[in-house]
Amino acid sequence: MIDYLYDGSFDGLLTAVYASYYEEKAQGIFPQAAYQNNFFVPSRTVETDLVKAEKVYHAIERKISDLSLKHIFYTYLSNEANKETKILNYLQLGFKLGRQIDDLHAQPEVLPIRQTARKVSFEAERFLGLLRFKDTGSFLYAVLEPDHHILILLADHFADRLAQERFIIHDRKRGLAVVSNCQDWYITDFPEEIGFTYSEQEKDYQELWRLYFSQISIENRKNKKLQTQFVPHRYRRHLTEFTTGYSDKNIN
Amino acid sequence: MVMGTLDKLAILADGAKYDVSCASSGVEKKNKGGIGNSKAFGICHTWSADGRCVSLLKILMTNYCIYNCTYCVNRNQNDIPRASFTPREIADLAIGFYRRNYIEGLFLSSGIEHSPNKTMERIYQVLDILRNEYHFFGYIHVKVIPGADPVLVKKTGLLADRMSVNIEQPSEQSLKLLAPQKSLPAVLAPMNQISDHILQNASERRLYRHAQKNKFVPAGQSTQMIVGASNDSDRVIVKASEALYQRFQLKRVYYSAYIPVNDSPLLPALTTAPPLLREHRLYQADWLMRFYQFQADEIVDERTPFLETDFDPKISWAFRNMHLFPMEINRASYEELLRVPGIGLISAQRIISQRRVAAISYDHLKKIGVSLKRARYFITCQGHYYGAIPVEAGLIRRALAPVQKPVQLTLF
Ligand code: SF4
Repeated sequence: MIDYLYDGSFDGLLTAVYASYYEEKAQGIFPQAAYQNNFFVPSRTVETDLVKAEKVYHAIERKISDLSLKHIFYTYLSNEANKETKILNYLQLGFKLGRQIDDLHAQPEVLPIRQTARKVSFEAERFLGLLRFKDTGSFLYAVLEPDHHILILLADHFADRLAQERFIIHDRKRGLAVVSNCQDWYITDFPEEIGFTYSEQEKDYQELWRLYFSQISIENRKNKKLQTQFVPHRYRRHLTEFTTGYSDKNIN
Repeated sequence: MVMGTLDKLAILADGAKYDVSCASSGVEKKNKGGIGNSKAFGICHTWSADGRCVSLLKILMTNYCIYNCTYCVNRNQNDIPRASFTPREIADLAIGFYRRNYIEGLFLSSGIEHSPNKTMERIYQVLDILRNEYHFFGYIHVKVIPGADPVLVKKTGLLADRMSVNIEQPSEQSLKLLAPQKSLPAVLAPMNQISDHILQNASERRLYRHAQKNKFVPAGQSTQMIVGASNDSDRVIVKASEALYQRFQLKRVYYSAYIPVNDSPLLPALTTAPPLLREHRLYQADWLMRFYQFQADEIVDERTPFLETDFDPKISWAFRNMHLFPMEINRASYEELLRVPGIGLISAQRIISQRRVAAISYDHLKKIGVSLKRARYFITCQGHYYGAIPVEAGLIRRALAPVQKPVQLTLF
């Protein structure tokens, strides 16, 4: 048994799974960039192969299920430690049991995948709401620093919603961005912090929103703990209503 | 322009905040060549300092009002700053917020300025600008002004996603007492009209594919009841909700703990804390009716007209029906599982689906998401009972009695 190292892409991960079945059996799969050499287990880097990846992809769809494929993809997007090896273990069981695996919530191979996938989809859904655009005059710009790599899960939603607009959604943590040019979007490297300038109107809307946000809270029902549970502090630096501007007396 | 807007926003957002319905859920729409779409699951955009989900720009058209409802901040006799938005101001604000992803849509309500018809007409104009000029496909919820011309109600409903007529009080007496200018028939008439249009529109759409371009309020209608302004019992409230759900196919009844804003001998004193826990229990009771197949009479019977504060209504019901327990997890039907305290909709489904593959052990239950803290007193698993005390209401009550002050939870 050996450790496979891959380039970090989903296709690379699936290629490693392929290799584990048709070449040498895998002990674990790890991203090449972060691999800690272990003297007891030999390792090999797999070359991402789109044909092999495609085969594994369709095999999961056909022999296991769409749902499993989705769970695996979401787990791949997570920042979970050893996620690749967990995916490998899940697939090994899945190819044995087929669709049945979707009902085995409590299995040790299944539970971590389910839980991780849920975390990722939860964060993505949350950012459908928590993303904030600013109008630069020629396009809308949003920054986020999510725990998981959720950009790809946000793109379609905003491309449909803002179909007539050009926009950039910038994951500052990963140096990536979704760039959309009226419905067509792609993901690209976006390493630099670019200082955009904003119009007066943009500032006005931010003020209006902050005011609105402080107005709607009902004093007798204050519940900061609950608020923090829903909007963790780590998300707040990019939220217009939690950053200072017009009246910050109610903001914290 | 903005300073004027800012001042008005301060007044008119403040006046709207007591309306608790805030969901944007229930309708799935794609953008068809304009701006916006709608997700059936609903999206929260932020959470305010009271821990509530903010999804819609919730705002009053005006807080001038010719009526004088006792429990309302905006009533005619109150000496408060007043303002009115023009339809265009509201439409521009909604679009400006929407583009920046602050909101999912608009929830427009209003005091009654001049007359119900004038007010309803202006609400219609906002929708006309948003839908026909900006081609906005996001979510819009509007309040119907009781007493407005049915023609206006109809054309507004063809542009809105949801409409609501607030009943505010759960009984005719309380409504008479606290809102003497309103009447139950005046509130029920538009509800009835909306319900008729929804049914009629649905059958027309079935018969002729191109019958109506627009669906009439595709996300349905809702209403709100204020809890604790009058003396009505929980039984009166829960029964009223059940009747509303049945009669008008309401999507939601919202409950709003009364926050004392006015001094009146008819109302609780100004220092009274809003009954938040009671409101929470009512939402749980409502939830049981909508998703767990409970009848109002099972939740609050003649002998127990108020919901218990220490226990949620499902476990209260179980305490009154101990002869049904313990239930065997591997044999109980889906409907029976739903009645077990600690088992929710999802865990009940998971139990059923996993049971098809393999018998369920006690160990599995936790991973499935069952709250064993409660459930263990009400179930057996492969014939074993894990409660460690006899299956007896009094003993289980003691075992489960809340230790500290119950935390206020919220469902939005
Ligand atoms: S009609 Fe509405 S706004 Fe006017 S006083 Fe009554 S509840 Fe308040």
